Amino acid sequence: MFSIKPLVAAFCLSALAPLAIAGGTHGGHSDEAAPNIGKPGVAAQATRTVTMALYDNYYEVDTLEVKAGETVRFQLKNEGVLLHEFNIGTAAMHKNHQSEMLKMMEHGMMTPTGMVEMDHSGMEGMEGMKHDDPNSILLAPGESKEITWTFSGDAELEFACNMPGHYQAGMVGEVSSH
Amino acid sequence: MRLRMMKGLILAIASMAPLGAMAGTYDLVIDEQIVNITGKDKKAMTINGQLPGPTLRFKEGEDVTINVTNRLDVDSSIHWHGLLLPYQMDGVPGISFDGIKPGETFSYQFPIKQSGTYWYHSHSGFQEQEGVFGSIVIEAEKREPFKVDREYVVMLSDWSDETGDQIFANLKAQSDYYNYSQQTVGDFFDDVKANGWSAALKDRLSWGSMRMMPTDIADVSGYTFLMNGKAPETNWTALFEKGERIRLRFINGSAMSYFDVRIPGLEMTVVQSDGNNVQPVTVDEFRIAVAETYDVIVRPREDKAFTIFAESVSRTGYARGTLAPREGMAAEVPELRDSLLLTMSDMSMASMGGMDHSSMAGMEGMDHSKMAGMADMKGMDHSKMAGMADMKGMDHSKMAGMADMKGMDHSKMAGMADMKGMDHSKMAGMAGMEAMDHSKMMMGSSSANSDYAPGSGLTPEAANGGKFLVYADLKAQTPFADYREPDREIELRLTGNMERYFWSINGIKYSDAEPVRLKMGERVRIKFVNDTMMMHPMHLHGMWMQLDKGNGRFSPLKHTVNVAPNTTLTVDVPVDALGEWAFHCHLMYHMAAGMFRKVIVEEAVVPAAAQ
Repeated sequence: MFSIKPLVAAFCLSALAPLAIAGGTHGGHSDEAAPNIGKPGVAAQATRTVTMALYDNYYEVDTLEVKAGETVRFQLKNEGVLLHEFNIGTAAMHKNHQSEMLKMMEHGMMTPTGMVEMDHSGMEGMEGMKHDDPNSILLAPGESKEITWTFSGDAELEFACNMPGHYQAGMVGEVSSH
Repeated sequence: MRLRMMKGLILAIASMAPLGAMAGTYDLVIDEQIVNITGKDKKAMTINGQLPGPTLRFKEGEDVTINVTNRLDVDSSIHWHGLLLPYQMDGVPGISFDGIKPGETFSYQFPIKQSGTYWYHSHSGFQEQEGVFGSIVIEAEKREPFKVDREYVVMLSDWSDETGDQIFANLKAQSDYYNYSQQTVGDFFDDVKANGWSAALKDRLSWGSMRMMPTDIADVSGYTFLMNGKAPETNWTALFEKGERIRLRFINGSAMSYFDVRIPGLEMTVVQSDGNNVQPVTVDEFRIAVAETYDVIVRPREDKAFTIFAESVSRTGYARGTLAPREGMAAEVPELRDSLLLTMSDMSMASMGGMDHSSMAGMEGMDHSKMAGMADMKGMDHSKMAGMADMKGMDHSKMAGMADMKGMDHSKMAGMADMKGMDHSKMAGMAGMEAMDHSKMMMGSSSANSDYAPGSGLTPEAANGGKFLVYADLKAQTPFADYREPDREIELRLTGNMERYFWSINGIKYSDAEPVRLKMGERVRIKFVNDTMMMHPMHLHGMWMQLDKGNGRFSPLKHTVNVAPNTTLTVDVPVDALGEWAFHCHLMYHMAAGMFRKVIVEEAVVPAAAQ
């Protein structure tokens, strides 16, 4: 059967969630312009560090203020017993991502507490999956991780957990930029 | 010396102070008054002049004193449904206390050790049906695992202009008294046209022998369904501002009615059931059994009205209210869906021992494909069947649970010349039949709706084709610390006879039954086997049941579980509350008829060696 291992790398679901990150490709959603949500930053160049705890099922804070062009290093810790995500994107991007996360859950690739190590290359509709979205990070229970992001100030952003039901239950915060 | 004593006294007072700070006193008065809900005056029972009674708002950690005064001319009581408390405070006359005599006041006193949505109701006679019920909201000590901007209690109930005693007398005298959609001779000829004479006849014979009818979804109809005490036309309204997250605390305080609940245009995220947090699961619709509670979060992003639609599973009516940005608004109210019809799948074969098929002729084309749970077929006598010359059309492919078929006597069947077409390949649960090919047996139960027998006519579907909540979706928000294999298993067969209106457990009604004895600290698996064709919401007082749907330590804690017809449902009970408790079907007239047990929890005996 499947084994569940703690996450060792930041992985995400770019093929599943055709994200529109700055400079990125633009999956199947070519009818709308890609919002400029910013880009991954380099930790060493961050001008600010934000530490934030993730609980079941909410973030330590509800809002985050950033300046346009600011590079923020997020030091995150999952204090809960469930798997959580920290994802920077627009409400529409989160919505797309949620349906993909749900699909992963239904296919048994993910459980409420972790990713399932399995070969899904042969699964229909799951070919070519890559876990390398730069704007998202998954944290297993008890895990600490970092993500650095340079905000553009051009899009209305939320930081959210797209584990099934978590966003709807309120695991989402607003990013306001100046 | 004197100083020291003073100090001791001060300390004693000081240690009592925090207790006082978290103590609350509540007064409830049960009385009678004339109400008019359906356009007809009727004497109802009320609490503090209200129907339903007032919402009691407690805080986790609070010590409550609730003074309940009975102004009726009969005994009364209040049971705190789902609350963990000393058994003497549980409010069940004859088990926890003697009840409250007319004119008397009983003071309930207990600490609040939990949070969430619960309710309370009379446990005397049929008083709950006539108005003695209300909601309980307990504020959590710690932050809850979700975030909402406002919240409402949505109490669903069924209201009759008849008294409970009248209804029960009618059911006892003629069980189909309220079955307005009985199939007629005309329907029978329609069935003949559609399915052929023998199939239609066979169908009728089967239903007749079960003392059931396919339309027997609910025993009682003629109800008006209420939302927070209001009839559908009165349109109970909950206000919101667009973008807000609203928590709706659904409680089914009905005597007899299940509901399928939806809010067209909004998805609902279930975050609690029976007062316990569950991992959020987003659905389009859910079924709420009698006495269950579900807390959902909705987030209307438009400045418009939405209908809260709770359609009775009998499809005879609905409770309805509106979520609206302003008073006086309404959204479209959906049509009632077609009546659900029980199928052969909802028919347990367990109680069919002794069925005599001897006079049946012409069984070609019989479809057993959806039969399940043929637990005990020993007594079936097929010996005089005629005309079974060609059985190749018999399809047993989806039979499940054929546990004990050893006594079946096919020896005298005539003319079974050609059975090569019989396909048993997909049968499930045929214990002890090793030689068979199990290659196509069903595995697991995860995504399909495993709450109902395969092919059941009661299996719900979302009106919009979307996601309908199933029990397996309910996963506890936090894992249960002491989760382990049960120490033992108790099987409880839910039994009854619709025509005689006799409902029981293991074939024995409450008044004739021995109590179920449990030991403090043990973990007991209760296996409910529903041998009837009705759903039964089984409620255990005083302790949680961990609903076993394969979620292990994330199995949710419930006080009431729905057991569908012809299915088996298991729950594990961590036995942690001494005393005497009630355990029963929460359909009021089933409980009254005897589908009820007393549970006695005793101290575990300490082995002599340890003393």
